[in-house]
Amino acid sequence: MSAASVRAEAKRLLAMSLEGGVVSADLVGAVLAALTKSRAAHQLRPLLRAYLANIRRELARGEARIEHAGPLATAEADAIAAHFSKLLGRTVRPVARRNDALLAGFRVRVGDDVTDLTASLRLANLAKSLS
Amino acid sequence: MTFLSAFLAADAAKSAGEATSPVDTIINLFGSFGVDKPHLIVQIVNFTFLALVLYFFAIKPALGQLEERIRQAEQLQKDRAAAEAQLASAQKTAEAKLAAASEEATKILVEARNSAKATIEASRAEAQAAQTEVIAKATAAIEADRVKMMNEVRGEVSRLVVETAAKVLEQNLDDSLRGRLNEAAVKQLAR
Repeated sequence: MSAASVRAEAKRLLAMSLEGGVVSADLVGAVLAALTKSRAAHQLRPLLRAYLANIRRELARGEARIEHAGPLATAEADAIAAHFSKLLGRTVRPVARRNDALLAGFRVRVGDDVTDLTASLRLANLAKSLS
Repeated sequence: MTFLSAFLAADAAKSAGEATSPVDTIINLFGSFGVDKPHLIVQIVNFTFLALVLYFFAIKPALGQLEERIRQAEQLQKDRAAAEAQLASAQKTAEAKLAAASEEATKILVEARNSAKATIEASRAEAQAAQTEVIAKATAAIEADRVKMMNEVRGEVSRLVVETAAKVLEQNLDDSLRGRLNEAAVKQLAR
């Protein structure tokens, strides 16, 4: 299989794995079971790698990964997720992780988009503007 | 000659008994001086013969040779005159060529001086341009180094300032303050 056909097949498998626009663990299991039965091992490896990358990307698209310094209330995390759900037009669930190296504020990553409201970024920008 | 003289003498003896004419008188007169007719005729003939012989075999060739010599002398004179004229012309030509060569040499000398002067001026201008360029490059390099150094110093100072600020913030921010800041950030995001 060529790289292009592998990508197209992985995309098709990802579409089969979504339920209501969200990755379903059951559907992913079914897809994997069907793949192991229908494909030879040498064909399976690149296809599974591309399928995994698509699943990860899709999961990241549905998550708001919030890195925050200090405590962040659940309501605040939900408010952040709601803001991005409204902004992107799809359901985004919050995944929070504390990182005090950010000094203050939070950084949100949704898919490939990053929103940084941290004091460390402000300081970095200040240093860049001074130099 | 002896035969001719004897014949004339016999002829004179034969005519001695005849009547005398004026011519005979004159001849007789000359004869009284020892000049008789036959001898005179013989002498005349001899002289004429001798003169002819001399003329044709001595004088005429000599005159011819003389004329030839004269002609040769004249030719030599002409040749000499031509050679002198040619020499004069050659001298004149040589002098003209010498003058032209001298003029040409002077001209070349002037041109060489001008060329040398121009070359010196060009070299001087080139050297000045090179000097200016070197000075400009050095100035630019010094300015670039200065700017670079200032940027490095500024960057270093900024880094130190930011590091210090970060450490101060890290030491002074407690959870309650961070929580309030997070709350403010959420509100800022909502706006």
